[in-house]
Amino acid sequence: MEGLAGLGINVPTLLAQIVNVAILLVVLYFVAYKPVMRMLDERSRRVKDSLEQADAIKEQAARAGEEVKKQLAIASKEGQKRIDQAVQAGEGIKEKAKQSARQEAEALITRARSEIQRERDEAISELRKEVADLTIAAAEKVIDRSLDKEAHRELIAKIMEESDALKKE
Amino acid sequence: MAKRRVLGMPRPLLAGVLFFTVFLFVAGFLVGPMGRSMFGDLGLPAWLSLPHPEFKLPAETVFHIFGFPVANSIIGAWITMFVLICLSYVITRRMKVVPGRLQSAFEFLLGWLCGFCQRVAGEENGRRFFPIVTTIFLFVAFNAWLSLIPGFGSIFITNAEGEHVHLLRGANTDINMPLALALISFVFVEYFGLKSLGLRYLGKFFNAGQFFRSIGHIVRGRLRAGLGGLFTGFIYIFVGLLETLSEMVRIVSFTFRLFGNMTAGEILLLIAAFLIPWVFALPFYGLELLVGFVQALIFAGLTLVFLTMAVTHHGNEPA
Repeated sequence: MEGLAGLGINVPTLLAQIVNVAILLVVLYFVAYKPVMRMLDERSRRVKDSLEQADAIKEQAARAGEEVKKQLAIASKEGQKRIDQAVQAGEGIKEKAKQSARQEAEALITRARSEIQRERDEAISELRKEVADLTIAAAEKVIDRSLDKEAHRELIAKIMEESDALKKE
Repeated sequence: MAKRRVLGMPRPLLAGVLFFTVFLFVAGFLVGPMGRSMFGDLGLPAWLSLPHPEFKLPAETVFHIFGFPVANSIIGAWITMFVLICLSYVITRRMKVVPGRLQSAFEFLLGWLCGFCQRVAGEENGRRFFPIVTTIFLFVAFNAWLSLIPGFGSIFITNAEGEHVHLLRGANTDINMPLALALISFVFVEYFGLKSLGLRYLGKFFNAGQFFRSIGHIVRGRLRAGLGGLFTGFIYIFVGLLETLSEMVRIVSFTFRLFGNMTAGEILLLIAAFLIPWVFALPFYGLELLVGFVQALIFAGLTLVFLTMAVTHHGNEPA
């Protein structure tokens, strides 16, 4: 025990130092360790959260990009379809216009032909009448006498009819 | 002309500082006891030199509170506690998620110690051991560093018995403080061991089960199995005794490691400053700063390791 006292060990000081360290432990626990650990935990939690959030946002952005690409593809397909439809419609309209033009032209031609026919028929009948008159006049001159006009006309008409009938046969 | 800088100083300034240092060193050498014994007394003024240091191992009593003697090392411990508590309080009073400089430094220190605990003891146990380990580290380190502040050992006071004593003394250089820390460390080791393993923890120290089983075998006439087991039982008991002894020896080694290192450092500084006054002691100051840190780390680290060992279940023991 003499040796221990020589080193300086004495019970009151030892007890006081134990109490000191215990007090320090307790006070630091509340003043330092608890708040600092809470803060460190809080910060690491926040970092983790924000990393997760960033991941989620990245994923969302990637998904949105994919979506946009898909939409674009759909839209371009749709546009292509519309263009095709329009081209087709234009084609149809052109075809129709061509057809109607041709029909009109045909109708025109037909009408023109019938007109010509009619005119020719008219001219022919006119000519015939003229020929008949001329023939009568010539025949008057030749036989030098005037036939009864009425009988004459009948005669001629008969002849004409005959000739018509002849022609028709 | 570009100015060359050496050690961050322009050359003339560096030369001046070097010259001044060498001058102080030479002057200290001449005025100190070593120079005097070599060259005799050169008639330099006496206030340049220091008196022969007297170092007493027991701490001196400064005053009494209600008959309780307050040693100067206790005052040293109070100052350390005061500094630590005030520092922590000021820093943690308004904690911010985005920390300022002081808060980051403090958080870095505690985070580092917490990481240290968790690497050694595992995630869960590291958290449990962190307060005690950190308290030991902070106290030992700050106490060592605070006693290095110039003037710490230079304040004298006359106590009630009329002795001229130091007012302050680093608590680690008084053996009561290392012993107190060792006892606290011991108590926490046993507490956590008992708490984690229950009564099985005590089986490490009193391991007589095999011995009594073997005696039972012998009584029941199974002589061969009994005698073989008896020997093993003896060994188990002996190992238990050794474990108990090593637990006690830890306290002693804890105490004297810290006490010896800190006291030796204190004496080294005193002697260095006595032999060659002025600048000669500077390198030793640097050394003592390092020693304070290393001793704190060793004390805290060993406590942590013993705590970890105490809560680890040993698989080879008979259940």
